[in-house]
Amino acid sequence: MSLKPPPGFFTILYFAGAKDYTHKEKELLEAPLEVNKLLDVLEKKYNGIGEKILSSCLLTVNLGYVDTTEETLIREGDEVAIIPPVSSG
Amino acid sequence: MDAQSRIKQLRYQIADHEAKLATLKEQLLGLESEVSRKSLAKTAITITPEYTGSRIWPLHADEYTRYGRQMILPGVGLPGQLRLRAARILIVGIGGLGCPAAMYLAGAGIGALGMADGDVVELSNLHRQVLHSSEKVGLKKIDSAVMALKSINPDPKYITYPEHLDPVTALDIFPSYDLILDCTDTPQTRYLISDVAVLCGKPFISASALKTDGQLMILNHPPTPHLQQRNGVSSGPCYRCVFPRPPPADSVVSCGEGGILGPVVGIMGVLMALEAIKLIYSGSIKLENGGSLPSLLQASDSQSSLKHSMTMLTASGSGLSTFRSIRLKGKRTDCIACSFNATIDAKYLRSGSLDYAVFCGAAIPVSVLGKEERIGVEELSKHMQDSKHNSIPSLPNLNGHVLSSDHLAPSSPGRPPIIVDVRDEAQFSICSLPRSINIPWNVLQSYKNTHDDTDALLELKSQLKRGNYANVYTICRLGNDSQLAVRKLEQLNLGGQLSIKDVSGGFKAWKQNVDKDWPDY
Ligand SMILES: [Zn+2]
Repeated sequence: MSLKPPPGFFTILYFAGAKDYTHKEKELLEAPLEVNKLLDVLEKKYNGIGEKILSSCLLTVNLGYVDTTEETLIREGDEVAIIPPVSSG
Repeated sequence: MDAQSRIKQLRYQIADHEAKLATLKEQLLGLESEVSRKSLAKTAITITPEYTGSRIWPLHADEYTRYGRQMILPGVGLPGQLRLRAARILIVGIGGLGCPAAMYLAGAGIGALGMADGDVVELSNLHRQVLHSSEKVGLKKIDSAVMALKSINPDPKYITYPEHLDPVTALDIFPSYDLILDCTDTPQTRYLISDVAVLCGKPFISASALKTDGQLMILNHPPTPHLQQRNGVSSGPCYRCVFPRPPPADSVVSCGEGGILGPVVGIMGVLMALEAIKLIYSGSIKLENGGSLPSLLQASDSQSSLKHSMTMLTASGSGLSTFRSIRLKGKRTDCIACSFNATIDAKYLRSGSLDYAVFCGAAIPVSVLGKEERIGVEELSKHMQDSKHNSIPSLPNLNGHVLSSDHLAPSSPGRPPIIVDVRDEAQFSICSLPRSINIPWNVLQSYKNTHDDTDALLELKSQLKRGNYANVYTICRLGNDSQLAVRKLEQLNLGGQLSIKDVSGGFKAWKQNVDKDWPDY
């Protein structure tokens, strides 16, 4: 579960709709990275994810939530999560 | 006045007085147990009042037995049970979340359970909506629920609202409850319940589930005070604070479209009941009918439960099942519903000025193709019939999942179509057309070029190369993705010389107009 990512990387977890969009539950990305740059990195990898998923999702770093506009630095070993709202039930 | 109306009137009056009597009794019990608790605290040892031969017990004899197993838990006790009995909880939505939540709340002896749902029980509900059973198909969900709940526990008062919630009914109903459970299934109702709960000063629990994922949050806890006092008062975030922007309508997936595993939504519903029961017996939410019912827990415990509640619990049931607690920040200072700068008020909601469907954006049916690029299901059927006996040498299946089985004997002329089914693999495995090729839309969508060859793509190319086909048809469940697939295939030049058309209305239309036996999944 909490396997440490290798030096120079952080883990990003994709929940719900983000998992469907990327076809991944998680992956490693290069650290360090500013939170507000993360969107660009993901948009480049997954065309259209910004509008479809990231615009309405909850973004967390190490289980605490951050605003996408924040200048928070994601460091190596961090765990980032993309949590889109699930509305059905 | 005739006898009939007099009877009616008397019944109403009796019911009214009985309700008032019940409230008075509850207040009395509340005060009594508070007094006895205070005297306990003074003496610091447990001393029972002198036995006088005619003690009045706060609970009915059966209730001690029925609720004994939860009452003996530290922190519950008699005060906890009295609080549960005084509590009024409203469950909005009696589906996959609402059913298990209602069962456990009824079992725990909640005083009054309100339930709102306008739907009817369907066969496709039964794998997860555990209050409803096969013989209830066609009944209103709330009627089915009350029947089942009464047999679990006849004690609670069950109040039903056989309708879908709108802002006006919500504003009328919410004030008489202590806690709201959002067990609904659309973004619209989630924002609506949040806004009204904030305005009525009610904490609420919001949970949801789709496929193998679930989410749960306790929101507006403690509740946001009225507008004037909002500044500086610490209260919990609302749904808008966590998700200020609704997801784009075309990315919202329902259980009908995305699927749902019963136990996943069940776990979330059970967790809602757990959180509700804890909030009530611990005394961390105010009860309208509770008078000053005490709780065995100290104020400091309620404080820690507050911190605990500022989290979102996510459950993931795929692969290794995991739960994660995500810390939520407090309110947004610019929240339009619950901050000092809020712009949503009751008058605004009652006037209908906030259209939740517009706010969440309506999913517009996809319509990207011209008439000449689409065919109807009847035409597809005819084309398939006409070419049924055509001699397409059947290639050995590359893999059972990709190519549908082919039982057609080769003989007469008429070129068959190439059928590209863009539903996902799971749906394709349930039912598919003979000789159709499965390229799921989400896979097709991600193709940048045709070099990343999959078995399905290779099959499509080989059929194109053989050249004895007429037209490529794309088909999906409802006829949306298949239109986008036409454009994508064109862009990838995967039609060769053939024209690419969409089967309009997809398999839904196919079942309606061509094949009545097509599985209705
Ligand atoms: Zn808010």
